[in-house]
Amino acid sequence: MAKPHGEKVGTMKNDAWLMLAENISLSFDGIVALNDITVNVSHSEILAIIGPNGAGKTCLLNCLNGFYHPQRGQIFLGDQEITSLKPHQRAKLGMGRTFQGVQLFPGLSVIDNLLTGRHIHMKTNALHGFFYRRWTHREEMRERRKVEEIIDFLEIKHIRHKLVGSLSYGLRKRVDVGRALAMDPLVLIMDEPMAGMNLEEKEDMARFVIDIREAKDIPVVIVEHDMLVVMDIADRIYVLNWGNLIAEGKPEQIKKDPAVVEAYLGEG
Amino acid sequence: MRKLTDLSTAHKNWGELPQVLDQGVETLPQLLVYQAGRFGDRVLHRKKDFGIWQRYTWNDVLEQVKTFAMGLASLGVKRGETVAIVGENEPELFWSEYAAQSIGAKAVCFYPDLTAAQMEYMIVHSEAVVMVCEDQEQVDKVLELEEKIPAVHTIVYWDERGMWKYDHPKLMTFKQVQEMGKEYMVRHSRSFEEEVATGKGDDIAALCYTSGTTGLPKGCILSHTYLFDTVLRLAGAYPLKPFTQYLSYISPAWGTEQMFGIAMGLLLPLVVNFPEEPETVQENIREIGVEALVFSPPQWESLASLVQSKIMDAGPIRQWFYEWGIWVGGKVNLGRLEGKKVSLGWRFFYLLADKTVLLHLRDNLGLQDSYFNLSGGAGMSPDVFRFFHAMGVKLRSVYGTTEMNLLTMNQGEAYDLETVGTVLPVQPKFGPPLEFKLTDGGELLARGGLGFLGYYKNPEATAKQMMDGWYCTGDVVSMTDKNELVYLDRLVDMRGLSTGHFYPPQFIETRLRFSPFIKNAMTLGDKEKSFVGAFINIDANTLGTWAEKRGIAYSTFADLSQNQRIREVIKGEIEKVNRLLPEGSKVKRFLNLPKELDPDEDELTRSRKIRRNFLEEKYVTFISHMYQGVSEFKAEVPVKYQDGRTGVLNATVYINNLAKEGKEQQ
Repeated sequence: MAKPHGEKVGTMKNDAWLMLAENISLSFDGIVALNDITVNVSHSEILAIIGPNGAGKTCLLNCLNGFYHPQRGQIFLGDQEITSLKPHQRAKLGMGRTFQGVQLFPGLSVIDNLLTGRHIHMKTNALHGFFYRRWTHREEMRERRKVEEIIDFLEIKHIRHKLVGSLSYGLRKRVDVGRALAMDPLVLIMDEPMAGMNLEEKEDMARFVIDIREAKDIPVVIVEHDMLVVMDIADRIYVLNWGNLIAEGKPEQIKKDPAVVEAYLGEG
Repeated sequence: MRKLTDLSTAHKNWGELPQVLDQGVETLPQLLVYQAGRFGDRVLHRKKDFGIWQRYTWNDVLEQVKTFAMGLASLGVKRGETVAIVGENEPELFWSEYAAQSIGAKAVCFYPDLTAAQMEYMIVHSEAVVMVCEDQEQVDKVLELEEKIPAVHTIVYWDERGMWKYDHPKLMTFKQVQEMGKEYMVRHSRSFEEEVATGKGDDIAALCYTSGTTGLPKGCILSHTYLFDTVLRLAGAYPLKPFTQYLSYISPAWGTEQMFGIAMGLLLPLVVNFPEEPETVQENIREIGVEALVFSPPQWESLASLVQSKIMDAGPIRQWFYEWGIWVGGKVNLGRLEGKKVSLGWRFFYLLADKTVLLHLRDNLGLQDSYFNLSGGAGMSPDVFRFFHAMGVKLRSVYGTTEMNLLTMNQGEAYDLETVGTVLPVQPKFGPPLEFKLTDGGELLARGGLGFLGYYKNPEATAKQMMDGWYCTGDVVSMTDKNELVYLDRLVDMRGLSTGHFYPPQFIETRLRFSPFIKNAMTLGDKEKSFVGAFINIDANTLGTWAEKRGIAYSTFADLSQNQRIREVIKGEIEKVNRLLPEGSKVKRFLNLPKELDPDEDELTRSRKIRRNFLEEKYVTFISHMYQGVSEFKAEVPVKYQDGRTGVLNATVYINNLAKEGKEQQ
């Protein structure tokens, strides 16, 4: 594609989808992890990818965000092909993600952790910081304001100065989401956001996922094990099993789909 | 009857304040317009938003109020109608109230944690036509009631979080109303200034619904003059500095905040600071260097417990230093309070204690600069007062009723902590000085000042409170020889036992609540019962930590509360209080409730007072077991979960004896 890497995807030529992964196949030494999978993410939806253990959910996710490169197939973000790009290049293009577990800086405060998410938007460097002229000051003010908006959005005002390492798991997870949002992503990919949470934390997280879609108009892709949450908040669901896509549709359809029931719901 | 007032110091303290009210200023909006002309670009409101204290000058506030008021007018709100407001303390809440008053409407504020059902009666009774809500949470409650409150034609909200997908014909944002106001000002000749000028001092400024420990809430009328009267009573009793930094934290649903944040804020004036979130109050108090603070007794008590529980986590050396600092502080400060001279040696010790311990305590609580600390309402344990005074925080009681306005306050530099203070001075323009009278039963009657303005649409209840021109407070007090009032209890709450002894339930309960291990307590005992019993709601936080440190295993709240060693701890706490009581009034038996008392289950009022009659009915089997001499029984308690589900809690409850006589009662 003609566009230089590192520039944000501009106008969308395509109205049907924002992100598309077409005919993806991935295998490790002959073990087929993903077999000819095609998925797309539209401009405004909460999309869930579910499946039993070992179905290939995380493999698919890692293909989308660039940790794995599939042997066959193409991935597009907007009008740009990104199949061969590295994760940080995809991040610059507007792909935000949160991790399974929490991958934050435990020794930094919540604000500083969120500011690291703004890194790709900052133009000044350490030397600028050392001399700290007006330009640097203005940038700091602007970025801090952005971060404060996210703090307000995620209702973490009371912990903004706390060290992340001292927070509960649910709050750390919220900071993790905040850092992904700080990038101003076009699409947010969340890897098992509810894993290891208690009921209340799950409810909070589910509400924030819905808010991200409604208030910020960012589509969200969730890979999630917890069926109940997924059925409640997702607009559309893909179901994987043994590396194959076995169903796609609205939650009500998925619940009734015999293949899904057999592969997933019926397993217990 | 005693004459109590001497106005000479009051006149000195008032300074030029009364003259402000002579400038054609009769209502709060008129005062806002007048003062904005004087103070223009100085700060009136501050609110922490996006991590920064955002400032609103007098001109800003006036502009916000003006556009919102005109917006309300264009929505058809008329003179004499009601605007109801519900939310946490935020500038928009204050602006909404001033705006409603600007066009001659009255405001009524609700506690933000009321349930929809609890709000319904007050919305209907106050005849509200517009509901101003803070956020989604409040809007949801109002929408839930929509069919039951047909008079409400518009629902306004100012926090747009989570409201993106709401589509309801009655819903509008605060800003949309202000935009309508701007258009309205262009189209209509009758200006904001004319609307404000039409207001009269005896217009109703706000309705304050009494918390309703008994029966339905009653809407107490606060007029503009009433609120000015209050401010001058306080300003006369204590030399308050203009532009004092004040933290608005208590809800305007409580009359006290109407008097402070709303009225005194404009008249004195204050710089009114709004905390970022209820969870950040402690931090915010520190940031703004608060100078005046009004809390309810439970809030002061929880602040004191906070210090104590944090100290319990500290190491032995720090604990020793803390104990020593508080001991020295107590000796010196409490001595000064009694008017004693402090010797040179003690002054030296105090300096040392202050620099090493007390200063840091005050600083950490944010009370370092605070010179006017009030506990609103009676019934706080003197231990809490002693604690704060020892720390160097001059805490004062102010006592009054919403109906009859503020009556007394601890004044001057030497006062008795066991009392709620001496009578407040009334500015002569508002009426005669306050007078007190005690009935044979010890009930306090009061008259003077502006007097009682009545309950809204409830003349019977109004008449019931009056007796030959005196307002009956329903509070039992006694008066010291220095004319200080000692608050004992509510008249209806003083209780007699079958033995002929009387006991003051609230007195016992507040002293129990001061224990870091006890969150709430209710005493039992009446004409059919021969001794005083108590229900204890343990503080699971501090006791949980206490238990963990000692390796005591527990699973649930119920399990913890009935633990043998926990019961021993509570027993010790009750024995401390028993020492203060005469023999016949001592607590003889108690039990720890197996669940927390909860306002959502109507067990507590919103201001966290216990609802005695309700509890006596709900826990009737507990009471009968206690007085039958049983030492343990199987209890079933219905519980309501937050999501509306109900269930039953099963637990074995132990009843504990305190004194030797406890074993052979009845």
